[in-house]
Amino acid sequence: MSTKAKKQLDAIFWPSLITILLLLIWEGFVRVFQVRSILLPAPSEIAVTIIRQWDVVSKHLWPSLYLTVVGFFLSVVSGILVAILVTYSDIVRKGFYPVIIVSQVIPKIAIAPLFIVWFGTGATSSLLLAVLIAFFPMTINAAMGFASVDQDIHQMARTFMASRWQIFWKIRMPNALPYIFGGMKISITLAIIGVIVSEFVASQEGIGYLIKLAGGLLDTPLMMAAITALSLSGLALYGIIAAAERYAVFWQTFKDDVK
Amino acid sequence: MILESTQHANESPLLQVRNVRKLFDETEAIRDVSIDVVNGEFLSLLGPSGCGKSTLLMMIAGLIKPTEGSITIKGSPVVGPRPDIAVVFQQPVLLPWRTILDNVLFPVEVLRLPRKDYVDRAMELLAMAKIAEFAKHLPHQLSGGMRQRASICRALIRTPSILLMDEPFSALDAITRDEIGVELLRIWQANRKTVIFVTHSIREAAFLSDRVLVMGRRPATVAAEFKIELPRPRTIPMMEEEAFNHHSRELRKAIEASHVH
Repeated sequence: MSTKAKKQLDAIFWPSLITILLLLIWEGFVRVFQVRSILLPAPSEIAVTIIRQWDVVSKHLWPSLYLTVVGFFLSVVSGILVAILVTYSDIVRKGFYPVIIVSQVIPKIAIAPLFIVWFGTGATSSLLLAVLIAFFPMTINAAMGFASVDQDIHQMARTFMASRWQIFWKIRMPNALPYIFGGMKISITLAIIGVIVSEFVASQEGIGYLIKLAGGLLDTPLMMAAITALSLSGLALYGIIAAAERYAVFWQTFKDDVK
Repeated sequence: MILESTQHANESPLLQVRNVRKLFDETEAIRDVSIDVVNGEFLSLLGPSGCGKSTLLMMIAGLIKPTEGSITIKGSPVVGPRPDIAVVFQQPVLLPWRTILDNVLFPVEVLRLPRKDYVDRAMELLAMAKIAEFAKHLPHQLSGGMRQRASICRALIRTPSILLMDEPFSALDAITRDEIGVELLRIWQANRKTVIFVTHSIREAAFLSDRVLVMGRRPATVAAEFKIELPRPRTIPMMEEEAFNHHSRELRKAIEASHVH
């Protein structure tokens, strides 16, 4: 077996083993001490609940995922656009950018009720909260990526008479890709948080609503089933971005393999 | 053996640097430098690191404007980067996401020239630099010496009339350095470009050049001028010969003299 394949197997094998062990301990603990499922359902019970009540779980999961993905895309696009303004406009970089960074100290979750007041209890509020939270790391990462072009490379491009436009597309953009993907990985998890929190606050559908509803009914297995489905979906979305990164930022992926 | 001005006195110079002075804020980096370079000449600017010789090169490349004086190429003043000048930097500065071939074709792409017209030439240049088999590789898969060869190919792709080289081999180990010097001369003789080569290595200047200008410390001035009368093609064993050593000694003396004042 090649060392590369072995490394990849290692990277999957050990975390999987630990996860299975923890689940087994959990399962054993619940069975041995006969913990009531209203307090802590066993992993097996959660799995059975997901399957049995899949129609309820999926009915609430899809709208949340849909809003998460749309919110994520909106924050990626707007984040990159703002980063371009930060890169090329002195006014934006010197005036707005510091304000954007300082506004980071506002806990945006706390604004959720305000959004309900402004935009009502529907999808709009969820979407806007997701974008508001996910937008910042995207902007900051992309701006860092655009700015981090090596001075030598910039000079090289100028001696070969590259225009500003060409320097952006042929140099700044590919140079920023690793940063942009780093931002996307943070943004996708934040977009999920934004959607769920706004569903907690006020909504008639969505996985956040289901979690709250099941909690109210003391249906802990359903609550855990919803949390599990949400976590696995989040993991899948993260995985898709990580896979796209390996493909798009091929020159760095390769470098890591060589090391 | 300080010459007046020089060699092919009957040819009109390809590049003329006239009384150039450069101030960075209050600091004078370059004082009253005048240089004539004729077509096909290999000229070295030799001086200690940070003496302003790279600044002079960047002014010829059109990246920095002189405070006073003028720089003209084929009679037209240098006002910015131009297609008949190419630069090789101290580092290879290849784009890590492009293959070696695509890096070499970068200057062609930037000028929106048809790529297919230049692929053959790019492959020829890579073959001349002995890295043709790495055309489809990414830069980090190559050694430092091979990367610098690729960057020389990139500089030559648009057949510039002047090649500016800014300490291009200073990041390489001594053995690679000698080898790549011989390669450069081979490529240079096949293409007969005018080369202006900035270096702080006496050996390198003596080995490569037709003519060496010794630059004094800041503010940079031309302290002395030497013709290197070694036969071409030059080979590594020549560096052991008395004629080479003689030139090296002369250059060293001139550098030391320029430090006294």
